[in-house]
Amino acid sequence: MITFNYIASFFLIALGFYTIITKFNLVKAVIGLSIADYGVNLLIISIGYVPGGTAPIFTQGEITQLSYFVDPIPQALTLTSIVIGACVTAMSMSLVMKLHESYGTLDTREIRRLHG
Amino acid sequence: MSNFMNYIHFPIYSVMVLFLGAFLIVVLGKNKTLRSIIAVLSVSISLACMIALIKPVMVNGEVIAYWMGNRVPAGGYAIGIAMEVDALSLFFGLLISTAVFVSTVYSIQYMAHDENIPQYYTLLLMLAGGVMGLVLSGDIFNMFIMVEILTFAAVALTAFRNRVFGALEAAFKYLVVGCMGSTCILAGTIMLYANAHTLNFAQLSAIIPGNMNTSTKIAFALLFVGFSTKAFIVPFHPLAADAHGAAPASISVLISGVLTKSGIYGIIRLTYFLFQTMGLSTFQFLLVFIGCVSMFLCVTMALAQHDFKRLLAFHSISQIGYVLTAVGLFTAVGFSSGIYHALNHTLFKGLLFLAAGAVLHETGTTNLDELGGLSKKMPHTTVLFLIGAFSISGIPPFNGFASKWMIYQACYQKAVESGNIGYVLVTVICLVTSVLTLASFVKVSQSVFFGRLPEKYENVKEVSFGMRLAMGIFALLCVLTGLFPDLVGKYLTQPAATAAFNASSYIDAMLGEGYAASAMGPFLPAAQNVVFYEAGVWSPMSWLLIMCIVLLAITIVAVTSKYDRVSAVSSGEADAKHALFFSGEEAVYSQVGGSDLFWGFKHNWRHYFSFMHDLHSGILNDYALWAVVDLALVMLFMLIVL
Repeated sequence: MITFNYIASFFLIALGFYTIITKFNLVKAVIGLSIADYGVNLLIISIGYVPGGTAPIFTQGEITQLSYFVDPIPQALTLTSIVIGACVTAMSMSLVMKLHESYGTLDTREIRRLHG
Repeated sequence: MSNFMNYIHFPIYSVMVLFLGAFLIVVLGKNKTLRSIIAVLSVSISLACMIALIKPVMVNGEVIAYWMGNRVPAGGYAIGIAMEVDALSLFFGLLISTAVFVSTVYSIQYMAHDENIPQYYTLLLMLAGGVMGLVLSGDIFNMFIMVEILTFAAVALTAFRNRVFGALEAAFKYLVVGCMGSTCILAGTIMLYANAHTLNFAQLSAIIPGNMNTSTKIAFALLFVGFSTKAFIVPFHPLAADAHGAAPASISVLISGVLTKSGIYGIIRLTYFLFQTMGLSTFQFLLVFIGCVSMFLCVTMALAQHDFKRLLAFHSISQIGYVLTAVGLFTAVGFSSGIYHALNHTLFKGLLFLAAGAVLHETGTTNLDELGGLSKKMPHTTVLFLIGAFSISGIPPFNGFASKWMIYQACYQKAVESGNIGYVLVTVICLVTSVLTLASFVKVSQSVFFGRLPEKYENVKEVSFGMRLAMGIFALLCVLTGLFPDLVGKYLTQPAATAAFNASSYIDAMLGEGYAASAMGPFLPAAQNVVFYEAGVWSPMSWLLIMCIVLLAITIVAVTSKYDRVSAVSSGEADAKHALFFSGEEAVYSQVGGSDLFWGFKHNWRHYFSFMHDLHSGILNDYALWAVVDLALVMLFMLIVL
């Protein structure tokens, strides 16, 4: 079951990169970045998964030798990663807006004043 | 712990003070004087902390392991977040804080006429804090966070002057491909975590080399490509060129002098520490190959440029190619020459970008075809630019010569030691690149500073003292590091190289004496006795003396002789057809533009140049494709050779 998660996460990363390469619309490039980011988040969460484990939320004294829970570190990492992903989307969308203002298009094939 | 001035706290101070400064400028930045004081003060404190660490780390050879909140490892696992400063980290920390300091001083007057200056300083300090945090961190996930912070700040600063031609476009391309790189770094990091269940860099370095499997190999490829996007080595060089052209000059200094170094630092940590695979000749081949391609490809791209800063950007990546090549040799001399060149690159490239910024500030353009004759109006900038140009072209006694000379020696020595004839070819590529660099800078100095002054620049003035001061600091450091390669070697590069060749002492400092030996067992690299010897010793001082004598002789001749250039020309060559100008009639003066001085050479290579021009299409999808192809190739390489 967890193998499926790994396959899905790498599929999402590959799909995200594929979107960036093949789509000529700037907004779609941003969507591609987000998809790749979600793929990585899924990968992180899957790595911390322990079959049958509970959520790693305990108060002082509640935790014993018999406590059986999923790895909390990847969950903390995922939170950070999600925040960063949101920032990437926000910033790239603001750049897309500005680009549309000054170029009048969102086609990557026309946004190439800098080349050679 | 009560003693806050103990030097073990200095690494965290030097990072925190930059972020604190960024925060304070958001709050108090309305006041011009106040924000300048905050910015300069925070970068000065950061620099001072780094300088104060030279004695314990560089001279005494200590490795500072600093656990946040004093959460030391428990039960054999590093749970807390750590900073670790060895000589290699400190080396990069020093050159970063120097570049940031000079850039901030320069910004005060350079950016004075822009809007939204508080945001500029906030982003500048965030960028600086991100890079400092990256090189001083002892935790791989924190390295990722810092990479994201510095990428964000750099993208925002690239687009800062968003009315400049192409600024938004450059920023967007950099953001997309840079974030693809960051995604790769995160995926690689988490795959290492899956194998070793720790994020501590030292502990990972102890566990990974003995437990290589397919997922760690893919993790290596992901991390390598991720750090490549930060170092802008091939195939990510177009991003650097775009970003440099659009960013303010003070930010170009940081992008070329600091961001590329953070990528190089990541690659060194990855190959020398985390995977410890540099002993394999295939890995040396990987680094040297990418280095040589970057070196040669970018210098030829630079020859075809018509924009001052874009040209400098390609040269910047070309010089990074030298660094990567030398680091990839895996010899003591090679490594120390590589990071010596990294240091010199920060200095001379910073100087050149600031000079380009001075030209832009006064004339409003960086187009090589429009400029000319500025030496008459901006004599100090011209002299400072020439020092930078001499340095990057490797003319003694400046610093570029010293480090390039060491790199040639290291390549040749490697060829002799390994018996591999390919390294002779590497030496040749290094030499040819250096020659092409010189050619390119002859062109730039001719078309910007010499020749005829266009009429519209009659009223151009010399830049203000603050900007000249910043350039002067870089120029002075260029001369000093060139004149005293022995001291640089003794106090900076050799301790750093020794640290790079002794990963076990890095691990032990973090996790307790003997941890590396017990955790790694047979995979523990033998303690290396790093030997630094050089053939063909040269004396920088005598070169300086020769240069002074020649300059003096020229001055004396120029001042005392009765030789009159104008009359000599008019009397000797009556026929203007034979006079020295390029085309057309004498009356129609044509400035040597961005393309003309080496037109014969470029004509012969026209197919190559037009092919390269078409290849760098400027379309985002192409650059993304290159990134993915690079990733696929490195993955394939890892799976085949290891």
